Amino acid sequence: MTDTHDTVAAMVAALSRHEAWRYTKLSPLVAALGAEWWQPADQVADSHTPAPEFDAIPLDGTCDLPAISRQRQATPEGGHDAPFTAQLNRLFARQTTAIRLTDGSHPEQPLLLIQRADGGACYHRHTLEIGAQSAVTLIELFDSGRSEAALCSSHLQITLQPGARLTHYRIQQQAASHHHLGSLQIEQQRDSHYRLHAIELGGGLSRLDLTIHLQQPGAECDLNGLFVLAGTQHADHHLTIDHAAPHCRSRAEYRTVLDGRSHGVFNGKVVVQPGAIRTDSAQHSANLLLSKRAQIDTKPELEIYNDDVQCAHGATVGQLDDEQLFYLRSRGVSEDGARTMLITAFAEAVIMGIRHDPLRQRVEQAVLSKLNNG
Amino acid sequence: MSNQEAEQFANREYDAGFVTDIAQDTLPPGLDESVIRFISAKKEEPDWLTAWRLEAFRHWQTMATPDWAHLRIDPIDYQAISYFSAPKSKDDAPKSLDEVDPKLLETYAKLGIPLREQEALAGVAVDAVFDSVSVATTFKEKLKEAGVIFCPISEAVRDYPELVRQYLGSVVPPGDNFFAALNSAVFTDGSFVFIPKGVRCPMELSTYFRINASNTGQFERTLIVAEEAAYVSYLEGCTAPMRDENQLHAAVVELVALEDAQIKYATVQNWYPGDEHGVGGIYNFVTKRGDCRGDRARISWTQVETGSAITWKYPSCLLRGDDSVGEFFSVALTSNYQQADTGTKMIHLGKRTRSTIVSKGIAAGHGDQSYRGLVKIGKGADGARNHTQCDSLLLGDRCGAHTFPYIECSNPTATLEHEATTSKINEDQLFYCQQRGLSEEDAIHMIVNGFCKDVFDVLPMEFAVEANRLMEVSLEGAVG
Repeated sequence: MTDTHDTVAAMVAALSRHEAWRYTKLSPLVAALGAEWWQPADQVADSHTPAPEFDAIPLDGTCDLPAISRQRQATPEGGHDAPFTAQLNRLFARQTTAIRLTDGSHPEQPLLLIQRADGGACYHRHTLEIGAQSAVTLIELFDSGRSEAALCSSHLQITLQPGARLTHYRIQQQAASHHHLGSLQIEQQRDSHYRLHAIELGGGLSRLDLTIHLQQPGAECDLNGLFVLAGTQHADHHLTIDHAAPHCRSRAEYRTVLDGRSHGVFNGKVVVQPGAIRTDSAQHSANLLLSKRAQIDTKPELEIYNDDVQCAHGATVGQLDDEQLFYLRSRGVSEDGARTMLITAFAEAVIMGIRHDPLRQRVEQAVLSKLNNG
Repeated sequence: MSNQEAEQFANREYDAGFVTDIAQDTLPPGLDESVIRFISAKKEEPDWLTAWRLEAFRHWQTMATPDWAHLRIDPIDYQAISYFSAPKSKDDAPKSLDEVDPKLLETYAKLGIPLREQEALAGVAVDAVFDSVSVATTFKEKLKEAGVIFCPISEAVRDYPELVRQYLGSVVPPGDNFFAALNSAVFTDGSFVFIPKGVRCPMELSTYFRINASNTGQFERTLIVAEEAAYVSYLEGCTAPMRDENQLHAAVVELVALEDAQIKYATVQNWYPGDEHGVGGIYNFVTKRGDCRGDRARISWTQVETGSAITWKYPSCLLRGDDSVGEFFSVALTSNYQQADTGTKMIHLGKRTRSTIVSKGIAAGHGDQSYRGLVKIGKGADGARNHTQCDSLLLGDRCGAHTFPYIECSNPTATLEHEATTSKINEDQLFYCQQRGLSEEDAIHMIVNGFCKDVFDVLPMEFAVEANRLMEVSLEGAVG
């Protein structure tokens, strides 16, 4: 174990010089959990209790859908190319839960994966394989059991086999004393389709490394992100979309609403490999700053090694439009009401895409209560 | 456009490649403190400048070559470079163009920029740098009348030590980065421009740089100061003869604009880019920075980069004064095995500061280029505004175009927009033009010119002509 800890200490020390960690420092983890914050908690809480309002298939031991196979296995060793969040998880997550949805199945209910931290560092590691021509929705919830300081480290690797379709809702609603280091890796095969809605509402420090490999022709991904942060919250999403095959399409639309002293970081990197002709890629990062002390760092990157492409990206940073505020005020809406209305409208662009009604209502309410209390 | 056509493009020869044979007073290769003392003594510099250089050198020794750029750079042996070379005829420096070495004039003639013609044509004062020492300066009298100082920086150190001491290194400190530190230690020449309060410089100032001797890095240092409400437009253009080894060029340009002052700095860079196999060519590692020190100051950078094997260059603006404005317009073209990592930094500190970035990149052959920009809005920059547009055009399936725009905002009243697109030439546009009787090559020229128009429009007239010609030459055979 000592070796492992030395390895991690060295990795963490190296991060301070790493470009991908330019804007995100791990000092909150040290403050909350001590210098060796990565030390796994004694008991790993496996409290996968589904939230009652969802009619969903929980992906824990109680899952009884025949189309789904689930087994726990020891985490394989090796592999050093992954981002730090994935590497850290590999070192400490003793078990990997491997889930597979068989070919050609279309479960009506969404799959539900709840990941919790209950104090100390907890490591969750899953692989999910969506069989060929299957279509399914996955709801991934991160919340907190207890409120003492904790780290939730999560690694989820999803493989979409030919023609598979996955809609993935990833909702991070941890307690403010909980920190999050997430890694999400998507492998997409021929004509598969992946849609993500990643919502960052809770947690102190939250980081996600999201890697999409469009490995075979015709694969498509559609990524939507929303940060609603206040206080001293810090959220950071690092996206890498790797166009390795011809005729693939990617979209990314990220929106952030930052209040208080919160800090948002977005890094979206699109790589178009030689030979990945007819690539169609667009990404947009729109950011709304509500407070003097909030900060946004955004970087939509393009790395293109091919001429037959259509790639675009955009980024905007702004504030609420005075004229719009005035318009609403002149119609008798209170100052606060008008602000909330405009901010919600801005966030709706991402929230409206959530096609699971109870979940959308849950997110809407969380955003509203956050805006009203913030 | 087919690969074969791209091939033809790659095969175009560098049409400004030739070496002029003039005896040089050159220092043997190598760099240590004695070299710096030699340069300083040769330039008859005061003690403070010698000490300043040595301090920069000591700092440079502690620094590592930057490796963050998207570039493949062969290791540079700094001990294999000669740090000083000057034309022999220094003692009896020419008083007019007639006395200038005829071979030098011939060099300019080959480049299509004969000094006399320029004198008459545009009223441009040319401070021609032939290798490291300026050998011809024109229009000095006229500038003197207006109170403008425009001279080689070594002359300025001698004649206006107080001014130089006040501003030198105040925008780009000696330890700013690896190449700036090296430049601070060994810079041999460059220009000094001082526009006093309220003066509008009566003509556009221009310097044609030319690297000539084998194995001499050229370390230019340019300092432009515009006092309150002054105005100056400065043109810099360069081209170099064909030769085999890599030449290092690490220049530093500092601009200081006080209250209400305006500085326009335009560059056409066409140094030797290396041959079609990527052998040779200039390493262009330049630090350029402007400081809008006073309220309502305005600095604009315009660049057309078609040359050099490797370009590493980020002309930046520090917007400190309230309502100050920074602008960056750039066209960069990389072909063969050329690489460019270029962009800008706009640091907004003052209230209501505004900046505009327009960057157009064209990559062909095996060319690889990156736009790397930073827009930073400080806490106090209320109402700051930035608009960034960076587009890339790809010609050929082996080139690369990359975009790394950093946006850091810590003020809620700021408004920022960033847009970028990357694509190849639109087939529909091409078809439309050809359908109306244009050849494919002409059609592509037209489309490329249109693509660059936003930038060419803001170039000074003389440069706009040159830039258009450069693009056409560069694209010959590439397409069509």
